[in-house]
Amino acid sequence: MNRKVLWVGGLVVVPLVVFLALSFGHDPRLIESPLVGDPAPAFDLHSLDGEAVSLPALAGRPVVLNFWATWCQPCIVEHPVLVESARRYEGRVHFVGVIYQDDGELIRRFVEQRGSWGPSLVDPGSEVAIRYGVYGAPETFFIDRQGVVRRKVTGPMGPSMLDAYLAELL
Amino acid sequence: MTRSAILHALATLLVAAAVAAQEPDGGFRVEVDQADLARLGAPEGRQLAGDELAERTQAVAALMRCPSCQGLSVADSHTVASAAMRAKIERLLALGYSDEQVLAYFEASFGEFIRLAPRPVGFNLVVWIAPVAALAIGFGLVVWRVRSSARTRRASADLERYRERVRAEVER
Amino acid sequence: MASSLGQAFVLLGLLASAIGAPVGFYAGARGSERALDLARKLALAFALAMLMATLVMEWALITHDFSVSYVASVGSTATPLHITIVSLWSSLEGSILFWGLVLGLFTTLLTLLQRGHVEYLGYTLGTVLAVAVFFCFLIAGPANPFAPTPPPIPAEGPGPNPLLQNHLLMIIHPPMLYLGYVGMTVPFAMAVAALLRGSLTPAWLRPLRNWLLVPTGFLSLGIMLGGWWSYEVLGWGGYWAWDPVENASFLPWLTAIAAVHSAIVLERRGTLKAWTLILVMVSFLLTILGTFLTRSGVVNSVHSFTQSAIGPLFLGFLALSLVAVVVLLALRVDTLVSAPGDDAVVGRESAFLMNNLLLVALMFTVLVGTLFPIIAEAVRGVKVSVGEPYFNRMAVPISLGLLLLMGIGPALPWGRSDARTVRRALLRPLPLALAAVTLCWLLGGRAGSVLLTSFLAGYALWVTFDQGSRPTRKRLGRGESPGAAAGGSLRRAPRLVGAYVVHLGVIVTFLAIAVSSVFQSSAEATLAPGEEMTLAAYRLRFERVGLEQQPHLASEKATITVIQGGESVGTLEPALNQYRTQREPIATPAVRTTVTHDLYLTLMNVGSDGTIGLRAIRTPAVAWIWIGVLVMVGGTTLCLVPSGAAPVRRALGRPVEEAGG
Repeated sequence: MNRKVLWVGGLVVVPLVVFLALSFGHDPRLIESPLVGDPAPAFDLHSLDGEAVSLPALAGRPVVLNFWATWCQPCIVEHPVLVESARRYEGRVHFVGVIYQDDGELIRRFVEQRGSWGPSLVDPGSEVAIRYGVYGAPETFFIDRQGVVRRKVTGPMGPSMLDAYLAELL
Repeated sequence: MTRSAILHALATLLVAAAVAAQEPDGGFRVEVDQADLARLGAPEGRQLAGDELAERTQAVAALMRCPSCQGLSVADSHTVASAAMRAKIERLLALGYSDEQVLAYFEASFGEFIRLAPRPVGFNLVVWIAPVAALAIGFGLVVWRVRSSARTRRASADLERYRERVRAEVER
Repeated sequence: MASSLGQAFVLLGLLASAIGAPVGFYAGARGSERALDLARKLALAFALAMLMATLVMEWALITHDFSVSYVASVGSTATPLHITIVSLWSSLEGSILFWGLVLGLFTTLLTLLQRGHVEYLGYTLGTVLAVAVFFCFLIAGPANPFAPTPPPIPAEGPGPNPLLQNHLLMIIHPPMLYLGYVGMTVPFAMAVAALLRGSLTPAWLRPLRNWLLVPTGFLSLGIMLGGWWSYEVLGWGGYWAWDPVENASFLPWLTAIAAVHSAIVLERRGTLKAWTLILVMVSFLLTILGTFLTRSGVVNSVHSFTQSAIGPLFLGFLALSLVAVVVLLALRVDTLVSAPGDDAVVGRESAFLMNNLLLVALMFTVLVGTLFPIIAEAVRGVKVSVGEPYFNRMAVPISLGLLLLMGIGPALPWGRSDARTVRRALLRPLPLALAAVTLCWLLGGRAGSVLLTSFLAGYALWVTFDQGSRPTRKRLGRGESPGAAAGGSLRRAPRLVGAYVVHLGVIVTFLAIAVSSVFQSSAEATLAPGEEMTLAAYRLRFERVGLEQQPHLASEKATITVIQGGESVGTLEPALNQYRTQREPIATPAVRTTVTHDLYLTLMNVGSDGTIGLRAIRTPAVAWIWIGVLVMVGGTTLCLVPSGAAPVRRALGRPVEEAGG
């Protein structure tokens, strides 16, 4: 039994297998946001209807800021959840949507058919998406009353997830 | 301390003035606003223009990951967000920010994941050093092996010569 | 019905391999011809079962039998027939069945072609069938494509991933890659057999080397086709992105090349026995690692399938194989007696050692870079990217080192020689090297890397031609006609000629990659209909853009007239394809390939005012990258040609009676 081989082999094999095994819990597409704990970047955009929405003006109530698009399947799945939640939390929470790399006309038609849960803000040049470090759609930022980002969610949310996260802010 | 603070404020004012004087480019309303300036601090590089600016923009864009693509760099990607990021990189470089400052700026929004090559600090040094170390160790092993086989050859050549002498002696 | 039939065949395969593996090991341990015969029959039974299962699946796909779950997930009545046939490997479960089919193919070839060597062959078959057990188990259970679709059975399906449908290359890239990947199992099994026996005779080394060359050749081809497909379809203008799955196919290729070179030294000098076996086994283990990375969803990749139960199973198999290999080595490495190093390691042999060192170092670099995001996340909890800038920075110097060795290695004589001979051998290629770098400079090359590459490539080219033509020149010197000389050299020394043809292909590929990266020029413009943009000698006029709506795809296609030297040389139609199921639109490029360069047009965006954003890239020498790899594959095939008397017997390592007998 050649001990040197065993040692070298073990030194290579054990860390490799351990690291690969540890990787299982993690979804490589979920990137944590460095903005959590910092003041949310300010924005001043217009919705498709021309309504002006700016972040500093929304202070005082928690904000659910959702980046979405019609070409994104999970966004379409998430849409009714947001419609329902916006209705339930009306008056207590601001639900704001930002269009992420999509055509305004498609968004308008979609919202007409499926209902609206908040203003759909046009983001020229994806400027706001860049400031928020958005990697794709849907991504949702939970901002508290003082305007601090408390949580970022990548991917579609279910109703219980949304309620749990909002409970932290209310 | 007051002097450097004044210089710092002056630099920021100059940049803010340069920003205000800029025209929108490439169809994108590239904003470098107060919050950005506060985050960036004073520019540490020099202001670029023309071909050099275009080259450096490409170079820096090649170091950043396109956020919504699979593995492409901002330089190679054709999404709207990537084009906007390229425009922003160009603006920042023109204002005199260094490559590292530009990268750090985007990293503050997107996290470390936006860089296509990990910054060589802390644990990230492993990925930069491990291959070099492995090559050095391997090289050492090969050289040792070549030397030891040369030693063996020299030893057996010496032995052969010694045997020859003994034979010569015995036959005399 | 198809479900049950398919499942039955898979279970038969599982049974055959599960029984055949221990029988094979027994045959090896006892040297029993009868046991070996039984193992052979069971191996063929396994292969037949895989073939039948595949045929059943193809039948189900073609007849759109949506009661079979795999067909329900990738089939569609709207898909054309040839796409339906290849959708066998378009998704996870089907691709594992395809793996089983290819393994069955190699097992059949091994069983039928490889005769003799009872002691080795038993162990070899046992090992192959042991690997087959794992894959059959996967196909039968966790990754079962034959599982019946839960009712209600749909009348229609989503069809395979649209990205896989729009180019011919996607049809042949996976099979070539699989032939390379799965094919590594055979030399692995032969190496295991050598270790279990505790000896590696030259008679066994020869077939091992041949069975190693075959998957290596397919792997070269598969990797090249993947790069070509990426270039033609994905629209970003490049052919290699250091994507984790791309790297996964590159890693075993590197160690397989190192193993081939190590085997050359082993054959000549009798040394490096253990290293040759280790490199062969590592090549196989890297294919399992690569498959694990692709299918487990733990890395961020354009190829990844989603995370599923398969991941942990593959990891388990990988861990088991790793442990088995390490233990086997620890037990047997000391019994592998190498010829005593009576001669110093100098000259060409030392170049071989350095070459293998660099290949393994390159493999290690790419491996660390690919796995680092996983490691960093485990240690720091933060996600990092390791992409092109890292790999280019680390891999390019090592690759240049390999190019250097490709020049000085074959230039050096074998064994010891005096300093004058060595100096002369190393100086002779210099004129061509200097000519090459001068030519590069004259053509406008200023970057250090491209100048160095052209110098080293010129050097290596001279050496390759000098050494590769040696047998032919010797014959010409004896008065043979050129045709007879060349033919005779090919017949008598195909391995030598083949090896230098491979080197030639590598040099061409190297040069093409360097030239295409450095001398690329591009331009972007926003054009209204009728407007033109220029790039180098081309004028590109935007004619019109049209929208094509299909059920799964909205395609905006622009028509661009290409004008060169005042006349139109054709039209190109780059498109922006928005597939309903994809996140981002894919810019399908339009490429005009000529011998010297490619003109590559991508549609960046279509404005609502009818203008388009067009990007044009002119890349020289791209076609030579594909040609270079094809030359490599051709050379690899030449290396497999048996030489001299009783060629087939010799290639398979069977004893050959000496001339006259």
